[in-house]
Amino acid sequence: MPAIERIAAGNAADAAPEAFKGESLFARFLKLMCSVRLGVTLLVLLGAACLTGMLIMQQNIDGFDRYLDGLTPAQRLVYGSLGFFNIYHSWYFNALLALVSLNIVLASFDRFPRSWVYVSKPTVAVPVRWLRERGQKAELTMEGSAARIAERASRAMKAAGWRSVLTHETNGRTYVFAQTGAWNRLGAYFVHAGLLTIFTGGFLTAQLGSTGQMPLRPGQTMNQMFDTVAADGQAREVTRQLPFYITCVDLWQKLIKKDGSLAAQNTIDWTTAFTIADETGTHEAQVQMNRPFDYRGYRFFHANFTPVGRARSIKISARAANGGGSHLLTIPRDGSASLPDGTIIDFTEFRGNFRTGPEDLSENTTDYKMPAAVIKITQPGAPPQTAYALGPRMRSIPLANETVAGYAFELTDFEKAADQHVLTVQYDPGANVVYVGFAMLFAALSGVFFFSHQRVWVAIEQGEKADRSVTIGGHANRNRNAFDGKFKRFVKELGSK
Amino acid sequence: MSERAPEPQFDTSDTDAAIASPWQSYVPAVLAIFGAVLILLARLNTVGERFISDGVLMLLALASYLFAAVFYLTDLYSPFRLARLLALWTATLGVLLNLASWLVRWVAAYDRELAIFQNQGGGPADMPWLFRYVPFANLYDLSLAFAFGAGITTLLVIRSGHFRIVAALSLPLAAIILVLARFIGDEILDLPPVLDSSWRPIHVGIASLSYGVALVCFAVAILYLLKDGVKVEKMAVWTSIFALAVFATISNFSVFDPSTIGTYAASVFDGGSRSALGLRADIPYAGSLIVAAAVLLTASIAAFALFISKGYCNARSWGWGFLYGALAVQAAGIATLAYQLKTIENAAMLIDPAQYRKFAVWMLEQQNVPPQQISAMGQQQLYDMGNKWITENASQLHLSLNANPVELAALVTAFTGTFFVVLFGVKTQKIRCLLPAADKLDSLMYKLAGVAFAGLALLLMTGAVWANESWGRYWGWDAKEVGALVAWLTYAAFLHSRIAYGWRGRRSAYFAIAAFLFVIFTYLGVSYLLPGLHSYA
Repeated sequence: MPAIERIAAGNAADAAPEAFKGESLFARFLKLMCSVRLGVTLLVLLGAACLTGMLIMQQNIDGFDRYLDGLTPAQRLVYGSLGFFNIYHSWYFNALLALVSLNIVLASFDRFPRSWVYVSKPTVAVPVRWLRERGQKAELTMEGSAARIAERASRAMKAAGWRSVLTHETNGRTYVFAQTGAWNRLGAYFVHAGLLTIFTGGFLTAQLGSTGQMPLRPGQTMNQMFDTVAADGQAREVTRQLPFYITCVDLWQKLIKKDGSLAAQNTIDWTTAFTIADETGTHEAQVQMNRPFDYRGYRFFHANFTPVGRARSIKISARAANGGGSHLLTIPRDGSASLPDGTIIDFTEFRGNFRTGPEDLSENTTDYKMPAAVIKITQPGAPPQTAYALGPRMRSIPLANETVAGYAFELTDFEKAADQHVLTVQYDPGANVVYVGFAMLFAALSGVFFFSHQRVWVAIEQGEKADRSVTIGGHANRNRNAFDGKFKRFVKELGSK
Repeated sequence: MSERAPEPQFDTSDTDAAIASPWQSYVPAVLAIFGAVLILLARLNTVGERFISDGVLMLLALASYLFAAVFYLTDLYSPFRLARLLALWTATLGVLLNLASWLVRWVAAYDRELAIFQNQGGGPADMPWLFRYVPFANLYDLSLAFAFGAGITTLLVIRSGHFRIVAALSLPLAAIILVLARFIGDEILDLPPVLDSSWRPIHVGIASLSYGVALVCFAVAILYLLKDGVKVEKMAVWTSIFALAVFATISNFSVFDPSTIGTYAASVFDGGSRSALGLRADIPYAGSLIVAAAVLLTASIAAFALFISKGYCNARSWGWGFLYGALAVQAAGIATLAYQLKTIENAAMLIDPAQYRKFAVWMLEQQNVPPQQISAMGQQQLYDMGNKWITENASQLHLSLNANPVELAALVTAFTGTFFVVLFGVKTQKIRCLLPAADKLDSLMYKLAGVAFAGLALLLMTGAVWANESWGRYWGWDAKEVGALVAWLTYAAFLHSRIAYGWRGRRSAYFAIAAFLFVIFTYLGVSYLLPGLHSYA
């Protein structure tokens, strides 16, 4: 095998097992940890552990209780004692990840010097026979001195876009070598550096991050978030304090079919508007699905909503009992409107499935079977009275025709919204590190795939007569079509008179 | 002892009339994309109902892929220029129609929601952004894009005349993906809000293209094994084991279950509902035919095992006989099943009463009745509840090809596997001679695995970013995330084993096959078998 190929192979080949002989235990251990063979074994083990976690339901997934009930006692015992129900957080899984990371670091350190030599000190003098075996090769017969031909080749190489032109003379033969994109050979190191950065970010997230849920209803102020943690096989709710106060200003839901329910399938988006108050002042914020809001390292996401149907605004008709006509009023949530005679109507409450008596908040009312608004009527100089504006479907109910303060009220329309939106609040100092790792990985992969390492050699030697025999060979590790064209143009340029 | 193939005598003097230079070799791929965009423009300038639907375009793409594969196979067994030309341009047409189907679906999804808004007095100004309608909302959409990924990768691979035979294997596989799409059904569904993210087209787009590359890599690995002299009988054993695994798991394991042996039961739909009920109706004859195919496949495995281990030539002949029989019975089984799913009218009559109790529990779970409350109910009460519901709704119950898409596609895949082994068994030596040189196939496989590795890395990254933007965590060990990770790790092991052990050729081919199986498991198995955030697709 020619020297240059040996170097290339050395860049890749793993240490032979017999190299362990006569070495200290530590040296052997270090060699093992640097070994790509160990890396492959760890990858296979990691894959097997991941597959186990896929096939055996993990304890954080909905329906785990039912799954557990369906297992035999022996299965429960074996899976449980091996940590298979929470395998991704088991000690051996973490140890496997740590070993993979260590292996990547040590293998990279072990191999990088050789790769660096390959890139920075290319082999210029190569056997002519080897050049003739390259993917692109040509042979020319030229006149003039070797130095002049070398200079001409050097110029043509630069013109073709190949940089790092080197000239070397040995055994009566003059070599001109040029290459471009040599760093492409280091792509694997950048990929590994990206992976390690991602692992570091993940570690920071696990150690320093916190997350929780925050249910918000308009007008409500919170400075806490709630999380459920598993400890000793039991789920426990914990409260985490936030360094600021959140006050919900408004929440609304954009539906596909306005006459449909609040269900996610009928929803285009949820929006929660709130303010954040701290020592720096009060700041306005808005969170939508897939549009989180960031503040002081905390990130707010839309997570969920309570399945209790409310209204963001209502339209009611107030029909005067004395035949004075009816008035159509639009009242926002917690807002009020006035009638021409000075009567003030406050919108105090909304129920999606109205029944007299206290509201059952555990009932899902997102389909608005019996919508009704509870309003407060205040006439000048009179005490406030409670009235109900029921939907048209409830006209047969006596309450719908009741007159309060001289008016009968009917709910004609309303904008549907949930009672509460639940935000996820996340503090994750590792996320940006992970993103940097992604960027590195993306850049490395792009570099590897969109750029190529191109090398060209020109060997000039004495011909049979007074002329010179010029052998040209070249190679590219990627995008050979482009290289082939470039190579042919170079040969044409060199061979032209 | 493996048979060594003679040196390749593949005719590369004519790499198709249209492919004269490296740049011209891109013409089919470019034409396919350009043509699909033209169809999209035509759709945009035509009222929806008057234009050919995305479903019809998909079926035309499916037919084109199959025809192209037939032409390539014809060219393999009996090389002639016309077959080669027809194969190339039919494959190009297939990719064009495949992409056009996906693009037209994008417009159709927009039009559908626009109609809803207009019915409520709204208009285009109220509509959300256009990317909401990118057809990556469910498994049908992903399947269309996956098949396109495989099709366009095939067109790029067969640019070199050496590799045109790859299309004979990769295009039928792409066709199976489209068959699966057909079984899933092309209904456009409302998009769950969490999917309405700019990361969705990026993430799922990368997924479909990477899966497509992995599929072609798998096809190359199979061809490599064939070229490298792996006995076709060995391949037959593996495809038969795969088919038996499919038969054993479909229909909730009922086909081989001693209490229900020979019974294939298909899921039942209720009226116009889009999802199947927790009920299955026994399909006459289908189960028996599957059992017959299983017996023949088992016999062929036994006979081939004898031939491979002891070299008995008679066993080999018997093995092929059994395999031919299994192929015919599999075809009859699939045809019987499909015909009956389309024609049976009284599905309620075919429901085994043994399911009533389980069905009642399923119904109660659908209504979010607490498990304790369900456990407190008596067995008879549950039976009566199931019986009553089925009796009352008998006229609404019906069967459909869309009820069990993965099962039907798995049956078709098992059949296709047997078919190709039978095909490879004919003039095996001639095929081996005509295949590209082993080192060329190995090199192509390595390159495709590298691209699949990079694609899956991007898939994992974009998925993590999307998850972090939507759920506030970039990695949650969700089944689909882990599935993609396992596939990626397998490709990583493939690439590293080449460095560490110098593994090439056959061992690399096994890695490529395993990695693709993980890709398929991630694509289908997770969606249909495992719970998690990705259960929509």
